[in-house]
Amino acid sequence: MSNSPDVDVSLEDVRRAFGAAQALKGVSLAVHTGEVYGLVGPDGAGKTTAIRLMAGLLLPDAGRVRMLGEDPADTRSSVRESLGLVPQRNTLYGDLSVDENLRFFSRLFGLSNQDFAERRERLLDITRLGRFTDRRADALSGGMYKKLALACALLHRPRVLLLDEPTNGVDPVSRRELWELLYGLVHEGMTLLVSTPYMDEAARCHRVGLLYSGELIAEGDPRELARQHGAAASNFEAVFLALVEKRDGGRAA
Amino acid sequence: MASTRVNRRVGRILAMAGKEVLHIRRDIRTLYLALALPVVMLVLFGFGISFDVDHLELAVVDQDRTDLSRELVRQVTAPQEFVVVQDGTSPDEAVGALRRGTAMSVLLIKKGFAEDVKRGGAQVQLLVDGADGNSATQALAKAQALVEMAGRKLGGSIQVAAPPLEARVRTLFNPDARSAMFLVPGLAAYLLAIVAVLITALTVAREWERGSMEQLFATPVGRLEIVVGKLLPYLGIGLLQVLLVLTVGAWVFDVPVRGSLVALSLGSVLFLVGMLGQGLLISVVTRNQVVATQVATMTSVLPSMLLSGFIFPIENLPPPLKLISTLIPARYYVATLRGVLLRGNGLDVLWPQLVALALFAALMLVVATRRFQRRLD
Repeated sequence: MSNSPDVDVSLEDVRRAFGAAQALKGVSLAVHTGEVYGLVGPDGAGKTTAIRLMAGLLLPDAGRVRMLGEDPADTRSSVRESLGLVPQRNTLYGDLSVDENLRFFSRLFGLSNQDFAERRERLLDITRLGRFTDRRADALSGGMYKKLALACALLHRPRVLLLDEPTNGVDPVSRRELWELLYGLVHEGMTLLVSTPYMDEAARCHRVGLLYSGELIAEGDPRELARQHGAAASNFEAVFLALVEKRDGGRAA
Repeated sequence: MASTRVNRRVGRILAMAGKEVLHIRRDIRTLYLALALPVVMLVLFGFGISFDVDHLELAVVDQDRTDLSRELVRQVTAPQEFVVVQDGTSPDEAVGALRRGTAMSVLLIKKGFAEDVKRGGAQVQLLVDGADGNSATQALAKAQALVEMAGRKLGGSIQVAAPPLEARVRTLFNPDARSAMFLVPGLAAYLLAIVAVLITALTVAREWERGSMEQLFATPVGRLEIVVGKLLPYLGIGLLQVLLVLTVGAWVFDVPVRGSLVALSLGSVLFLVGMLGQGLLISVVTRNQVVATQVATMTSVLPSMLLSGFIFPIENLPPPLKLISTLIPARYYVATLRGVLLRGNGLDVLWPQLVALALFAALMLVVATRRFQRRLD
């Protein structure tokens, strides 16, 4: 699966436990070049663990993880040059301003001053953070903070962008703006993997993987999955609940 | 190609260091504390502290070589407050032993001593290493008392007029036995241990706690680049502290710098790198600011005060603590500072201390970097 030239990210029968808790129980999925893949599931489903494995921040207990054809946990790998990550937690430096955070990450990615100036201008423009460059990151609203995190992850023009619940705690207007921003990136050829607990956001993805209790219980085009379960694409929550009931019912039987 | 890779590495290290400087500037109280602490503590400790000392190393220069001179040495060393570590040497060799720190004091019995005793007025000379002013003061008082007591005994047996002996005492390196002379070097080591270990442990643990380490690990920055970049600004603050302590020491307490500046600089940098590495190791293992503070206090701040020779002479420690003190880098740094500032030593004398500091620094950096995995588990 990972050897396919158009697969940018893949998990192959990946298992990962934290003590006695099984976070992922043999998950396989593939994210193709230029698509928006939604990893959808409730809290505790294993979404963050899956994203951290893809970013090389965790090692799998079993199975194989590939990012752009390489093992992302290999410290000699150059995959980080092509990877952007927006973690679920607020992980930027709160005591640094918007501009200082941007400049710091641009230097970690080795951008020249000229490249930084160009990309900073564009990113501040598309995130509408231009008026807040001197504001400390911890003084930004939830939506603006997420946009700054996104801008920091986009400075080096990554080929793959991993977003862990980017719309969590963000107001509806900012959520819509964030998704418009993400579509713009995909139009430029970027591959996106977005995790979200919001079922209505599944409809915004090209393909979704439904994660529940560490298992991928369904995968495919969200409209097709909705059609199979007789639900409207906008009512993906009903699809998800039906799949969970089916899975739990099957287990009980 | 290779130069591009090196340039990128250097760029990332400088980016990490620059970010750390911004954190320090945002929390300027930490910087004030780091720079005000030396002055406050120097003043506090400048009052001087007195402790009992015994088993002081004594080099004996007996130029008289008579029964009477040998009896004097036996009398002086009988209570075990002085232990003969060198006997039958020349005055120059004995002063050399003081300079190297292998002897704390020298008893010089000149030729004709026995004759002088019989004539009723003999003199012996006692040289004391004043680099450790507290021990020197103690040594002087004890030596005077012992020589006077021995004199009374010798007078009783050979019928000489009282007082049969007079001790002419001369303290080397710290003639006035001022506490500040030996406190400044010890204080420098103690303060550097606080800043280097504690602040480093806290700043790195903070990265784990607030999750920014996750963001860093998703970038191309390497482990060593994070380590070096984070430590550089604190190395700068530490060296600034050394300068401040030495300046205040020289300005207020007339503490000199008699020895090699190269040895002083090298010792300071090696000690700081070791302490910063220890702070990093603590933070990597604990990943928690509260626990990191406790571990840093237990493993560096307290030992740097108690087991370095700063306050308590190492020769007076119980054997197990003396053994543990060999693992405390502050011990070697205090010895280096006292050697350079007070005894006028250079690399030729202080190299064993510098080697010990270098070994500790290398060990800490290697262990900390190996333990510092680019993963969240």
